[in-house]
Amino acid sequence: MIEYASRSRPVAREHLDVVGFLRRLDWILLLGVGAIVAYGLWAVAGITRFDVEGDENYYVVRQGIAVGLGFAGFLLALAIDPDRYRRAQKAIFGVTLVGMLLVFPLADATRGSKRWIEIGPFQFQPSEFGKLLFVLALAGFLADRARRLHEPKVVLQAIGLAAVPIALVFKQPDLGTALVYGAALVACLFVAGIRWSHLALLVGVVALLASSVVWFLPAVGVEVLEPYQAARLNFTNLEEDPGGTAYNQTQSITAVGSGGLDGRGVQGATQTRLDYLPEHHTDFVFAALAEQRGFFGAALLLGLYLLIVWRGLRVITLARDAFSAIVAGGIVIAFLFQIFVNVGMTMGIAPVTGIPLPFVTVGGSSMVMNIVAIGVLQAIHARGHLGRRRAY
Amino acid sequence: MASSYPERRSPSGRFLPPDPRTSEPYRFTPQLALRVGVLAALALIIFAILFLRLWALQVLSGDRYLNAAQNNQLRTIRVEAQRGSIVDRSGRTIVSNVPGTAVRIWTADLPDEGRYAMFKRLSVVLRVPLPRLTRALEENKGDPLTPIVVKTAVHEDQVMYLEEHRADFPGVEVTSTYLRDYEHKALAAQLLGYVGEVSPEELERLEKSKDRDIRGGEKIGKTGVEAAYDRWLRGTPGTDQLRVDSLGQPLGRFEPRRPAQSGYNIRLTLDVGLQRAAERALRDGIELARQDEQFNANGGAIVALDPRDGAILAMASNPTYKPSVYVGRADPKKLEPLVVEKVAKEWNYPGINRAIAGVYPPGSTFKPLTALAAISDGLLSPYEYIQCTPSATFGLDEHEFRNWNPYTNMPMTLSTALSQSCDTYFYDVGNRYFERGERERPYWTKMQAWAKKFGFGQPSGLDIGGDATGLLPTPAWRREAYKGIDRAWNPGDLIQMAIGQKDITVTPLQMAGFYAALANGGKLVTPYLVQAAERPAAEGEPAVPVLTFPASPAKEIGVDPAALQVVRDGLYEATHDANGTSSGVFGSFPVPVAGKTGTAEKVVNLPGYPIGHLEDQAWWCGWGPFDGNDYVNSRGGKRTPIVVCAVIENGGHGGTVAAPAALKVFEHWFREQAGAQGVVASD
Repeated sequence: MIEYASRSRPVAREHLDVVGFLRRLDWILLLGVGAIVAYGLWAVAGITRFDVEGDENYYVVRQGIAVGLGFAGFLLALAIDPDRYRRAQKAIFGVTLVGMLLVFPLADATRGSKRWIEIGPFQFQPSEFGKLLFVLALAGFLADRARRLHEPKVVLQAIGLAAVPIALVFKQPDLGTALVYGAALVACLFVAGIRWSHLALLVGVVALLASSVVWFLPAVGVEVLEPYQAARLNFTNLEEDPGGTAYNQTQSITAVGSGGLDGRGVQGATQTRLDYLPEHHTDFVFAALAEQRGFFGAALLLGLYLLIVWRGLRVITLARDAFSAIVAGGIVIAFLFQIFVNVGMTMGIAPVTGIPLPFVTVGGSSMVMNIVAIGVLQAIHARGHLGRRRAY
Repeated sequence: MASSYPERRSPSGRFLPPDPRTSEPYRFTPQLALRVGVLAALALIIFAILFLRLWALQVLSGDRYLNAAQNNQLRTIRVEAQRGSIVDRSGRTIVSNVPGTAVRIWTADLPDEGRYAMFKRLSVVLRVPLPRLTRALEENKGDPLTPIVVKTAVHEDQVMYLEEHRADFPGVEVTSTYLRDYEHKALAAQLLGYVGEVSPEELERLEKSKDRDIRGGEKIGKTGVEAAYDRWLRGTPGTDQLRVDSLGQPLGRFEPRRPAQSGYNIRLTLDVGLQRAAERALRDGIELARQDEQFNANGGAIVALDPRDGAILAMASNPTYKPSVYVGRADPKKLEPLVVEKVAKEWNYPGINRAIAGVYPPGSTFKPLTALAAISDGLLSPYEYIQCTPSATFGLDEHEFRNWNPYTNMPMTLSTALSQSCDTYFYDVGNRYFERGERERPYWTKMQAWAKKFGFGQPSGLDIGGDATGLLPTPAWRREAYKGIDRAWNPGDLIQMAIGQKDITVTPLQMAGFYAALANGGKLVTPYLVQAAERPAAEGEPAVPVLTFPASPAKEIGVDPAALQVVRDGLYEATHDANGTSSGVFGSFPVPVAGKTGTAEKVVNLPGYPIGHLEDQAWWCGWGPFDGNDYVNSRGGKRTPIVVCAVIENGGHGGTVAAPAALKVFEHWFREQAGAQGVVASD
């Protein structure tokens, strides 16, 4: 009953005790993210210096604006009690779907895929925001059924629910983001507490599906993937086809390798500067960073990511309720997945898919969403066990 | 979905509404801790993988990738080396280079779309047929880094247009190149040869011969001196490096890495003045033959060489062509006489160097050899008399062999027989070989053996190659070449060979070599055309010889000097005695010249004539001065001895056509003029 009694009071106190609230934030996480954002901006400044003629800060300025927007969203996310998301889960789910559906009639096809909606001067990528909204909605659904998660039916329901946005993203087509959603789904189910056996089955089915999409179905003549997707997934045979589809990855590996221990600098990083490295400010930004700043620079970034993942996992343990824990788990694992696939892709140990590198890749939607997601994590942290224990 | 939190019914009452206050507080369970632990382990593994991979790429194999990255942006371009010049014996330029423009295509830089439209425009601008462009592109498919030369010697207007519309022609580059320049137009065309783009077959051959410093699209000597001395003339291409971005767009200027090394100059033994004189003499000789109603006269050759070492001073062949038709992307119409068999035949094969590759029956010019052979083999005494008659019969079938001169009937010694070119005298000698051979078979081939010693029936060993063998008929050859009854070796074979007729064929160069041996006292020289490779010198300084190609030492043939002297005397009489066959031509020439006319019947298939039609090939071969030493002309100039051999195809009588042509060469060489020419009595 003490629990219950205390339940209504902190809400009132939050409005009063801003200092107390700030003290309950995870400052290590915050500093880590701040460091990554700052480091990312600095890196992007070097990487894109020769991209736009006459304005070497073109991308940095835009990225800075996105950081500003993201910070506003971050403050907003702090102020919102996560439980509101749970209660609004249906609306969130609906907004996610509508955003993704809008892409099809509205978006210009950029490089063959429809991902962006233009609103005034801004390009808006629903699938990026969808990453967070998807996790919130799915976590709401799972948290409400926390005690029935051992039932296969509930698990299947959750998967069926998640399958809709995943299919929409896949259709854009954006295989990479669809994979992120899938990773977030598995993470949410895992943290929510589905049975290990179900998990194993799920992983098995996913593996079977993936392999059938990539290998079995094409073998019997059913092409699910676009040819370029299939070619990119086949990332192990770079040597055989250095000029073709694997060109990007070959150049990326060369860029990473040529960076050496201490990097080639902005002027000397020819892979980036002379455009051998494609998409060096978006998908292959890590390779450009590694070329310019070397092992030290790249390892520093990876270290900061490790810090964020660690603090993020810690938030799960401190969560106030199941919903918060699931949300934290989904967000952190989505981060981890993106980091691994993106960085791995630039180094030739993961397939080439259009997954952005969190906090570094040039792209407003991604940057705003990532910072807001950190805001949600902080909101969870501030309202979690540790915060309360410290406060009382 | 449930709207209340947590969605749980009261454990006590199934039908009661859920009571939030009875809800169990959320707790961080050990199960969840385990799961977070699993996730943490997963994160650690992932980051470990990423760190290790990063370490492997950047630290362990960083150098390798750095190297790869640096090679990425440097495009190495071969820089054409300037081909060496060809100069004559005193350093006068015969072939050199002029700067020219070339248009080439970098396939790597071609746009993906609109290629065909661009080619169409390019073909219109450059006036190059579109199929040729597309074919060149197709052939180059596997090698995007070697540019395709579309056209060289591009006109200035076309260059201007391309420069102005550069944006419309991506991948098309206007560059400078070297073009072969022939200062003397058609002079010595066949022996100089020409330069062209290397063919795949040649590339393969060069690859095998370890000469790998050439790539497709580059130029190579195709024939003559250009081909034989290509290694010296070609030079070594240099390399430039160009920084390019990933689209192949150049960033900045070329950075020379290795400068191109010009080829060496080749110094010939040829004398430009004499060459020009010989070519004019040859044209005049043909003209003379036509005036003499030999309307089929349509070609010929003149060889002039130094009898002491075989250095070729002039080598003319007619008809001829201008080698400049090969320069640049040649006009196919102009090339037709050289490459299309039908047209070439119509033009009487201007591409053939008749001096070395034309084979003709030698006719009477061969008689000195018959005489030398017969004396050396003991079948003839120089001073015995043989009756010279209008005709003679030999063999069991009493076959009649006619003399060219139906009005003669007198006994002759060798020198008179040579001087008046008595056929029956030499028929008799030939018959002696046959009759002796019936008892001792080697005698059937002894004359040929001597001919071989004097350089007939084998390539003369000319340094630029391409010289024909000719034919020395032997019983063995006849058995091979013929069937049935014709396989037999008959008296006529040797009787006719004695006057240089029937199956025997020689080249003008072989003939000149033979007369050189007569001139120098019985030594066989190896003719040569190239005396040195030289490094081009600065203006006004002498060229620096890099390598000299000395004459091969003359080979002593081993002919009896007395026999040689008799033959030489006979040849002097032929040009100076009252009844000498070319006395009318050379009698009044201040330089003592000795030589022999020849009128050789050859089966020539001419349009409008029956098969087997015979035409007279006019010959004259000889040397001056007679003693084989230097000659001091009337102006005090010292001139070296020279052998001249001229043949006019279908020209009729040697004395009336070939001898005057040869005289002109002598006149130019010795800077002396002959007086009025007398009447020629000639075979």
